[in-house]
Amino acid sequence: MFNFFYNSNIFIWIEKLIKFINSIFFVLLLIALSFALIFSPPDYLQGNSVRIMYVHVPAAWIGLASFSAIAFLSIINFIFKIKNLTLIAKSLAPIGLLFTCIAIVTGSIWGQPTWGTFWAWDARITSMVILAIFYLLFILTHKFLLEESKANNISSLIAILGLINIPIIKYSVEWWATLHQPASIKIIGTSSIHSSMLMPLLLMFFVLILYCALIFLMKYKTEIIRIKKKNLKRI
Amino acid sequence: MINNLILMDGYGVFVWSSFMITFLVCGIFYYKTRKTLKKYEKEFAKEIESLSAEQKKIVLENSKIASKILSAYNKTI
Repeated sequence: MFNFFYNSNIFIWIEKLIKFINSIFFVLLLIALSFALIFSPPDYLQGNSVRIMYVHVPAAWIGLASFSAIAFLSIINFIFKIKNLTLIAKSLAPIGLLFTCIAIVTGSIWGQPTWGTFWAWDARITSMVILAIFYLLFILTHKFLLEESKANNISSLIAILGLINIPIIKYSVEWWATLHQPASIKIIGTSSIHSSMLMPLLLMFFVLILYCALIFLMKYKTEIIRIKKKNLKRI
Repeated sequence: MINNLILMDGYGVFVWSSFMITFLVCGIFYYKTRKTLKKYEKEFAKEIESLSAEQKKIVLENSKIASKILSAYNKTI
């Protein structure tokens, strides 16, 4: 009856991690904000509006990374049917949606001083909106489909289908003539961003990753308790 | 200097609104997530408390998580 109660060590680790992140988060946030808003230099072309990058770019990275992770977990779950992976994907989805929306909104605000408009149906922006729609579909499937196995299958399909959109987002600025600038930071090859801007950007990314970890752990813990509650009702 | 920080050569409204929206939304999201977690913890602890002494003993002996949740909840009340 209690064979599900095997992941107690994970649960204890979650509690420890939540406490640890809570203890360092605000100090790191203050440091990152100081660099982003005060110490980093303005751009030679965009002036101080470039500071929007310090929330916009990490938000977009997190939105993309979360969906890629969800799709990857869904593929594995589709094959091996591991219940824990569904919980992880379910806990990641709201975080991804939140940061995708933040990327769209801050991008729109950045668009006004740089492009002269808040909105354009540009390839990058449109593909990001499509990503938000995929996130919404994934979350709504779990919310409204009561039969768990059916919800898992459909949401996995949505995530796998949505995976097609990820390279479209990444390469949209190269494949089409867009208002959005090409990537300044490259994993392979030389980045065109100066270290005085790259450092605050990475610092802000790290702080937002910590925030995501905190939310993820709380959501994952909630999911575990929800399952335990269900098991308890069977007694 | 403070003026420069607020106005940012005319871009202040865009920069500050971006940061404020981001951290306000993140703050609300954190609050809501934490509230839901606490609600579930409370409900779970109450359900354990409502079990008979024997059932409660079985649950707590077999599940470290259940006893963890219960002790965490008892600390908050």
